[in-house]
Amino acid sequence: MSSPPKGGHYRSTSVVSGFSRTVPGAAYLLAPLVVVFAIFGHGFATLPNLLNIGVQSSILLLLSLPMTLVIMTEGIDLSMGAVLSLCGVVMATLLTKEKGLAAGLLAALGVGTAFGVANGVLVVGLGLPPFVATLGTLGIAQGVALVLTGGQSVVGIGDTLPALYAREPLGVPFAIWSATAAFVVFRFALTRTRFVSYASAIGGNREALVLAGVPANLYHVAVYALGGFMAGAAALLLTGRISSGHPTAAIGMEFDAVAAVIVGGTSFERGKGSLGGTLVGVLTIGVLKNGLNLLDVSSSLQVASIGVLVVVALVIDSVLKR
Amino acid sequence: MSDVNGVTPLLEMRGISKSFPGVRALDDVSLTVRAGEVHFLLGQNGAGKSTLMRVLCGAHQPEAGEIRLDGEAVRLHSPADARRLGVAVIFQEFSLVPYLDVAQNVFLGRETGRRCMHAEARRLLQTLGVDIDTTTLVHELGIAQQQVVEIAKALSQNARILVMDEPTAALSDHEIDRLFTRIRALKADGVAIIYISHRLQEIAAIADRVTVLRDGKNVANLENPVNLEHLVHLMVGRRVETTYRQRFCERPGGVMLDVRDLASDTGVASASLTVRAGEVVGLAGLVGAGRTELARAIFGADRVTSGSVTVNGRILAGQAGQAGWAGRGSPVAAVRAGMGLVPENRKTEGLALNRSVEDNIVLAGLRRLFPKGWYFARAAATVAHDIVARLRIATPSIARPARLLSGGNQQKVVIGKWFTAGSRFFIFDEPTRGIDVGAKAEIYGVIETLVSEGAAVLMISSELPEMVAVCDRAYVMRDKRIVGELGRAELSEANILRLAMHHE
Repeated sequence: MSSPPKGGHYRSTSVVSGFSRTVPGAAYLLAPLVVVFAIFGHGFATLPNLLNIGVQSSILLLLSLPMTLVIMTEGIDLSMGAVLSLCGVVMATLLTKEKGLAAGLLAALGVGTAFGVANGVLVVGLGLPPFVATLGTLGIAQGVALVLTGGQSVVGIGDTLPALYAREPLGVPFAIWSATAAFVVFRFALTRTRFVSYASAIGGNREALVLAGVPANLYHVAVYALGGFMAGAAALLLTGRISSGHPTAAIGMEFDAVAAVIVGGTSFERGKGSLGGTLVGVLTIGVLKNGLNLLDVSSSLQVASIGVLVVVALVIDSVLKR
Repeated sequence: MSDVNGVTPLLEMRGISKSFPGVRALDDVSLTVRAGEVHFLLGQNGAGKSTLMRVLCGAHQPEAGEIRLDGEAVRLHSPADARRLGVAVIFQEFSLVPYLDVAQNVFLGRETGRRCMHAEARRLLQTLGVDIDTTTLVHELGIAQQQVVEIAKALSQNARILVMDEPTAALSDHEIDRLFTRIRALKADGVAIIYISHRLQEIAAIADRVTVLRDGKNVANLENPVNLEHLVHLMVGRRVETTYRQRFCERPGGVMLDVRDLASDTGVASASLTVRAGEVVGLAGLVGAGRTELARAIFGADRVTSGSVTVNGRILAGQAGQAGWAGRGSPVAAVRAGMGLVPENRKTEGLALNRSVEDNIVLAGLRRLFPKGWYFARAAATVAHDIVARLRIATPSIARPARLLSGGNQQKVVIGKWFTAGSRFFIFDEPTRGIDVGAKAEIYGVIETLVSEGAAVLMISSELPEMVAVCDRAYVMRDKRIVGELGRAELSEANILRLAMHHE
C-alpha cells in the first residue's frame, strides 16, 4: 500500500465511527453524571458497582446495537422487547425439558430471527410503516409468550445456564464479555463488511444504493432480521439473570433501546448513525439508573429521568450543530 | 456506422420516440455525440431534454428508435445496464449518501478494501484537481465538492458518456470556472459530455456542438460558434401565439399588492413589484430563479429580512405595527389581509387529501364563516355546494375525498378554499402543472373570472406559452432578483427567455 500523499491526512476512521467523528450529546452528559454520582452516590465509584452497571447495561446494548441500524434506515423496531421475552420463554421451556443449552439457544435465535424476518418482509416487502408493522409483531410475540406460559413464570431451568451466567473470567462477569463481543462484532466486523454502510445508505439515499446495483431490499430485510436475531441472543443473558422464563420480562425494553440510540446521536433522518454513540447512550442510561438507585430515587421517577435525558441530549446535539 | 468525417461516433440515438398519456414527449429525436466533445442540449421546459436523457440512462424505454454505442446497437433496460456500458448521469439532485464518506460514496456497491478504496478515490480526485479528504462525510461538503464526488464516482465506473444536468445552477462563478477546467480535462481524455443548461453564455465557454429540441422534436444541430439570438428563435419557434383571455385588462384598478425592495432569508434580493386590481401579472424565470421563494416571502411563509409587502393597503411586512409580528410577515396576516396562495404542490401544500371536498373548501374560511367558533354543518355544506357550482368542480358529492378528484378539479378545490376565505389577491404557483389540456382552459377561465370581478392575480409559470397567453404583464426573475418587466405589448416567449437566460 502506498503511503498517504502529503497534505492528505489518512485517518483510520470509518463512517459509523463513534468518538472520533461525531461526539454525541450524551458524552457531555455521561461525564458529569459519573462525577456527580461518584460524589453523592454512596458506593458508586467502586469496582463491584461499576461492573454491576456493565451487567445491567449488557442486555440493553444487545438490543440497542441492531436498533441503531434499524433507525438508520429511517425505521424502528418496537417488537424487540416482546420478542426478547418470547425467546426467553422458549429457551427456559426447553431447558426445563432438559434439551440442553445449545438447543435452547438455537431455538431462541431461530424464533427471534423469524420475527425479525417477518418485520423486514412487512416493512420492505409489503411497504407497511415500520411503526405499525412492528407494533403488530410486538402484540403477536407478547400474545404467544402469554399463551405458551399461561401467564406464569417458567421455573426449574436447571443449573447449566445460571452457572454459565455466574462465571467471571478474569474477574469480569459473563454478561459484560457477551456485550463486549457483540459491540466488537457490530462496530468492527459489520462495519468492515459494508453492512452498516448500506444501512446508512438505505436511510440516506436509497435510490443511490439501488442505482449502484446493490440489492437494497435484501439488506433492508436483513437489518430487521438482525434485530430479531439479537433479541434471541439477549434471551441468553435475560434467562441467565432471572434463572427462569417470564412472558413479560423484557416488556418495554425497546423504548430504552430507542432512547439509548437517540441519546447516542443517531437520527431518524438521512441515515445518520453511530454505533459508538449508541454505546455511550447505553452507558449513560445505565449510569443514570444505577446512580438514582443509590440515591434512593423511586423507580417511577427513574422513568421520568430517562425522558429528561433524551430531551437534554437532543437539545445539546442541536445546540452543538449550530 | 460513421459520420461524414469517417469517424464512428461514440453515441448515436436515432429516431427515438416516447409517449406518456396525453403527451408525445419525444418524436423521432436523434442525437449524435462524438468522443471528447461537449455537446450542449438546449430547449425550453418540456422540450424533451429530460425524457431523452432518461432514455439514455435506461430509466425510460422508448417506443421506437435505436441507441448505438461505438456503432453497436445496445438495449438499455435499466440504469444498471447504462452504467455498465459507460453512461453516467449527474442529476441536479445528487445520488450521494449523506452520512457515508467520500470513498464509500465513490465505490458504493463496488466496495474493495478500505485502503484500496481511499487510495483510488484520492487518485481520482487528484486527476480532477481537487484536494478533498476522502474520509470526509459527504454531507459536510459544499455543493461544488459534492458534484466533484459525483464526477469521481462516474469516472470510477469508467464512464465514457457523462450527462450533466444543469451542473452550474448552484455554483458560484469561481466554482464554475473550476468545473469548466475539469470538463476540458475530461474531454482531453476522450470522455463525451452531454451538457444541459439554460445559461446560453456557457455555450461559448465550453460547447463543441449544440442540439436544440422543441416540443419533443429536433430543430437544430449546430457547430459552435453559434449565434445566440438564433438559438433563442430556434427554442421558441414560429408558434402561433394563442391567448386564453377573452379580454386583457385595459384599465387596472387600485394597487392590490405593493412589494418594495423585498429581501428574504431564502435569498430573494431587492424585489419590487406591484399588482393592481383586475390584472394578471406573471412572474417568469427559469427553474431556480427564485420565483417560488419570492411568492413565499410575499405570503409570509419565509422570513422577510428587509423591504416591505403591502396588500390591500395593509402592511404585512416591513414596518412594525399593523402586521403584529414585528413586520416579518406571516401567513396568518396574509390571509387576513385577503391573500390566497395556490401552491405548486397542491397535494402536499394545498389540500388535505383524505378530507372531503367540503372540508377542504371551508378550511381556510372557517374564521370568516363561523366567527363565534361554533361549526354549523349545514352552513358549511351550503358554502361548499355554492363553490362547487361556481367553479364547476366535477365531483359526485361534496363528501368525496379530495384525493379521488382529477388534477384540474383538485386545483379548483384549492382555489375554492380561498373563495371562502374572502381572498381578493391570489398567488398561483404553476397552476396548470400536471393538468390535462381541457382542465387547463378551465383554470384559465377561473383566473379570468377572478380578475374581471376585481381581484388581482400573481401567476408563476414555467410554461412560456401560458405566460404569454394569460398575463397582462410579467416580471422576469434571474438569480433570485427581478431583472425586467414586460408589458403586454412586449410580452413574448423570446423576450422572456432573453431576460431569463441572461442574454440581452
